[in-house]
Amino acid sequence: MARRLSRRYGPAVRRIAMGIARRVLMLFLLLALVFAAVQLLPGDAATATAERGSNAEEVAVVRTRLGLDRPLPERFLHWLSDLLTGGLGTSARGEHVNQLLSGPFANTVLLGLLALVITVSLSLPLGCWAALRPGGVPDRIVSTAATAVLALPEFVIAAALVLVLALWTGWLPAVTVANERGAPTSWSMLVLPVLALAIPQIGWNTRIVRAALADEAKAAYVAMAVLDGLTRRRILSHHLLPGALPAIAAGAATSTGMLLGGAAVVETVFNYPGVGAVLAGAVADRDTPVIAAVVALTTALITVALLVSDLVRVRASIVRARP
Amino acid sequence: MGLTRRQFLWAGSGVAATTVLAACGVGDGDDTAAKPAAGAAGTPRRGGTLRVGALGRAAAITRDPHGSQVNESDYLITSLRYDTLTVPAARSNTARRLASNWASSADLRTWRFTIAKDAAFHDGGPVTAADVAWSLRRLRSTPAGAARLPGIRAENIRAEGARTVVLVSDYPNNALPLLTRLTTFVLPKGTADSAIATAPGSGPFKLDWFRDGNARLVRNDAWHGGRVLLDAIEVRIFESPQAMSNALLAGQIDVASNVGAVAARAAVGRPDVRIIQRRNDMAMPIVMRTADGPFADQRVREALRLAVDRDAMVRQVLSGYGAIGNDVLGAGDPIYAVDLPQRRRDLDTARRLLAEAKFDLNWTYDLLTTEDVAGLAESATLFATHLAEAGVKIKVVKQDSAVFWDKSWLKAPLYTTYWGTNDSVLFFASKTLVSDAGQNETAFADKAFDAAYRKAISSNNPSETKQSLHELQTIEYDRSGYLLWGMADGIDLSSAQVRGLPELPGYGRVQLERAWLAG
Repeated sequence: MARRLSRRYGPAVRRIAMGIARRVLMLFLLLALVFAAVQLLPGDAATATAERGSNAEEVAVVRTRLGLDRPLPERFLHWLSDLLTGGLGTSARGEHVNQLLSGPFANTVLLGLLALVITVSLSLPLGCWAALRPGGVPDRIVSTAATAVLALPEFVIAAALVLVLALWTGWLPAVTVANERGAPTSWSMLVLPVLALAIPQIGWNTRIVRAALADEAKAAYVAMAVLDGLTRRRILSHHLLPGALPAIAAGAATSTGMLLGGAAVVETVFNYPGVGAVLAGAVADRDTPVIAAVVALTTALITVALLVSDLVRVRASIVRARP
Repeated sequence: MGLTRRQFLWAGSGVAATTVLAACGVGDGDDTAAKPAAGAAGTPRRGGTLRVGALGRAAAITRDPHGSQVNESDYLITSLRYDTLTVPAARSNTARRLASNWASSADLRTWRFTIAKDAAFHDGGPVTAADVAWSLRRLRSTPAGAARLPGIRAENIRAEGARTVVLVSDYPNNALPLLTRLTTFVLPKGTADSAIATAPGSGPFKLDWFRDGNARLVRNDAWHGGRVLLDAIEVRIFESPQAMSNALLAGQIDVASNVGAVAARAAVGRPDVRIIQRRNDMAMPIVMRTADGPFADQRVREALRLAVDRDAMVRQVLSGYGAIGNDVLGAGDPIYAVDLPQRRRDLDTARRLLAEAKFDLNWTYDLLTTEDVAGLAESATLFATHLAEAGVKIKVVKQDSAVFWDKSWLKAPLYTTYWGTNDSVLFFASKTLVSDAGQNETAFADKAFDAAYRKAISSNNPSETKQSLHELQTIEYDRSGYLLWGMADGIDLSSAQVRGLPELPGYGRVQLERAWLAG
C-alpha cells in the first residue's frame, strides 16, 4: 500500500517540494533586491526621517543608530537572521515592525481574501455562461464587459464607486474608519474597497475561465461526450470544468498578486487601514526593514496561492494519468 | 500629496515680539486660548463626541510627545492630552497654558515660569516644577532639541520650589516664552521611554484608546485651563486629503483638519458644510541665493519680485484661498510692517533692472521644487511662466522630497520652500535670515540686518524693539533673497453643528478644547 502510494504520489511530492524550494530561493533573492534597491534610491532613512534643520552630526547619530553605516550585506543578513526567529526588525522611526504591520497586514489580507472570493465566485459562472454557447449573445456581452472592466485602473473604479454609492446616494460609507482594534468599524465599510479591487479581477478571470473552457472543448473526449448525447450542463460540469481547472486556478493565483498590488491604491482612496499606506510611507522614508517585511509577507501569501494552484495542477495530472 | 513633512515644529519653535511689546519681558498671557470664531454664535452646549480627521502617514506614526512629529494626527492627539507651557494665541501670539505667568531678569537671560496652580496629571498627581524641568530637559536632548529650545542648554533648565521653572538662555532673549509654545509637552518626571505612550498628561482630554494612528480621547473634568464641553474627541488618521474630504461630505467625520483648498472648492455651496479659513497659515516663498550665483545681484532679485504676478499666483495656486505677500515672512505677526508699499507686477522695471545687472537671459535657470505640500510644485510652474514674460527662462525641476532636503535645500541658487505657523517676524529672522542662522535658506549675510535683529531681541525698551523690528523688516523687504508671493490660508471643513473651532494659523489649529456641538 505504502509502496503504491509512494509510486503514485512520489513524483508529485518531489515536484511540490522542489517548487517550494525554488520559491523560497526566489523570496531570498527578492529580499536581497529590496535591500539593494532601497540603497540605490537617493538619500537614506536617516536623512529621510530627520527633522528639517538637523545638522550633519545629528543625522550621523541617527545613521549609526539605524545601523546604516554598516555594509549592506551585513545589514541584510542581520535582518534575515531576525526574520528566521520571527522578528521583522525595527523601523527607521524606532517602532517594532511586527507591531507596525500586524493590524494593517491582517486588514489587507481580509480585503484581498474577500475580493478573491468574490472574484472566483462571479468569474466562474460568468465564464461558464459565456462558454456554453461560444459566439452567442451571452458570450459576446460577458466577453466585452470583461475586457472593458479589466482595462479599468482600480483608482478610477474606486473614485466612481465613492461618488455614486457614497456621496450621491449615501448608501455606503465613503471611507473606512478604524476602531480600537484597528479593524473597520462596520462591515459596510468593506463593500466599496472590495468591489473596487474585485471588479478588474472579475474581468480578467472571466476571460481566463472562458478561454480555458474553450481550449478544453477541443479535446477528443469532449467530442465523445457530445456524441454520447450528454447535456451541455453535464459536459460542462463533468468534462470541461475538471480539465480547465488547472488553468482557472492559475488565473486566480495570479490575481492574488494583482489584488495585493491593487490594494495599495484602493486603500488610499478609501483610507483603509491596510499595509499599502505603510508601504508607501516606508518607501518615502527609505525604511528598508519595513519595506522588506511587507515584501516578505505579501510574497509569502502569493507563494501560498501559487502553491495551491500547483497542487490543483498536480492533482489534475494524476487524475488524467489514471488508467 | 505628501504631507507637510518637516515643516513641523520648525514653525513652532518661533520667537515673536509681541510679548515684549506688551509687557517688556513679563507675560500674563491675557488671551488664554485661540479665539473660537467659526460660528461662535449660540450658547455653548455640553456633551457630544467630535470626530476629527487629520492627515498622517501610517509609517510615520509616533507617540513620543518629544519625538519627531511628522503626522498632524499624532500632533493633534498629543496636544489634546498634554499641556505645553504656552500656546499660540490671536492677540498676543503667546498665551498661558501650563505656565500661568512668566517673568525675566533685567538682562533678559533668566526666565521664570510659574506652573498653573490647579494643574494635575490625569492620574490625579499634581504637575510640579520638577516634572516640567524634567520634560524640558528630555525635549532638549532629542536630536532637534537644540532647534526647539535654542540658546537653552539642558543644564540651564531647573526647578525652583514646587511651582517655578527657571530657564537660563545663553544670550539675552526677550522672546523666550514664544519658544515654549508648541513642543514643550509635560509628562511626569522619570517616565521611562518604554512607558511614554501611556504616560498621563495634564491636558484637556484623557486618552481612552490609541490604535494605528487613530484615537479616542475623553474629557478631563479636572482640567486646570477651564471647562471643556465635549464629552470626547475621536481622531482619525487620513493618508490623503481627498479621502478625508469624502469622509466629511459623507458625514463620517465632523471636522476635516487642514484639508486644503481643493476640498474647500468642492464644498462651496453646501449648506451642511462650513469652510474655516485660517489666515497666514502657510508661506511658500521662492528662495533666491544671495551669497553667490546668478541671483547674488540685488537688482536681479528685485526684478524677479516685480516679474511675478502675485494675484494670479494666489488665484491659481491657492484657488483664491490666501492673500498676496510682500516678501516679508511672518505675515501673521501683530507687528508685521503693513506700511511697506505692496509690490505689484511691473515688467518694464523688471526688464530694466535685469539689463542693468547684465543678467544672462540666454541661460535657462533651474527652479528646484518638491510635491511636499499641495500647490508647491504648481507655484514653481506658474512662477516660471510669469518670469518668461520678463525674458527669464526658468526650468522647473521636481525632486523627490528626500533628495531635495538633502541636496538642494540651503544650497541651490533657486528653489521653493514652505513654512507653517507664520505669526512671527522674529522667528524667521532668527531661523533663516540672521547671518549665522542654522537654516539660512538664502545665504543672507547683512550687517545692518544682524544689528537690527540683535537690538530687537536684547532690548528692554518696547518702542526700541518695535523700531528695530521695523528696520529688520524693511531690510528683508529691500534686499533679502525671499520672494514671498502669497500666504496660503489653512482650510478646515466642518459639519454645520460644530462650533468654537480655532482660527489660528499653523499648529494653533489643534486647540479644540473650546469646541462644542450645537444640538
